Amino acid sequence: MSESLFGMPPANVDADIAEGRVALTVDTSLHSLDAIYAAAYAFIGRCYVLLERPAPERVRVVLAPKPSGADGDALRALIGEFANELLSATWRREITRSNRALIEAVTMQAFAGALGSPSLDDLEAFQFGDEPFEDPLGIAQSWEEKYRKKPRTPEEPTE
Amino acid sequence: MIELRFHRDLYAGTAIDSALGRFAGVARFVRREDGADFVVEVHAQSPGRERTVAGELANFALGLTVEAGGPDR
Repeated sequence: MSESLFGMPPANVDADIAEGRVALTVDTSLHSLDAIYAAAYAFIGRCYVLLERPAPERVRVVLAPKPSGADGDALRALIGEFANELLSATWRREITRSNRALIEAVTMQAFAGALGSPSLDDLEAFQFGDEPFEDPLGIAQSWEEKYRKKPRTPEEPTE
Repeated sequence: MIELRFHRDLYAGTAIDSALGRFAGVARFVRREDGADFVVEVHAQSPGRERTVAGELANFALGLTVEAGGPDR
């Protein structure tokens, strides 16, 4: 028999305490299917997890603890923990999505660096006549250029 | 007998077949299709064993579906 749990929204959470099951109905416009999979996957070690499709925009996640005989408080704690895990999974996916451009740029630079020396075609296409960039502090100078001994010029005789 | 319904939007058919193959030695299964659902009947020696096998079968099918990247496209 389905019943609501204290402190949980009855429209989203229902439980069958006699059967030792609790369910959360998720709106897939708020949480993606991938996030639901990630959260559900984290619970298959200690629960039996079944996903149902009550409506096109809804997924119902049914959790049944493996040692049967869980009471209402245990089921309430379990579904609350699942809801937190689902929120965390959704947030992780959002962070990944928003950082995608940065990750792609760093990966691109890493691959470009790993490609090695330019080919003869690259060197042929290189414009050696371009203006050199400004380097007033000498940062781009090599160690040898910066510290090599200057050739001694013969002193002119003083009168 | 316990009947499990796996919706096509949520489970990969290949994952269900693999799970059924994995558990073939511990219970008897009848697989059929009903609209958008893959339906699996679980027959075992006792209600307790049916519950355990059905639950583990569902977990296995879910795990394989997740590893496959989602349901069949």
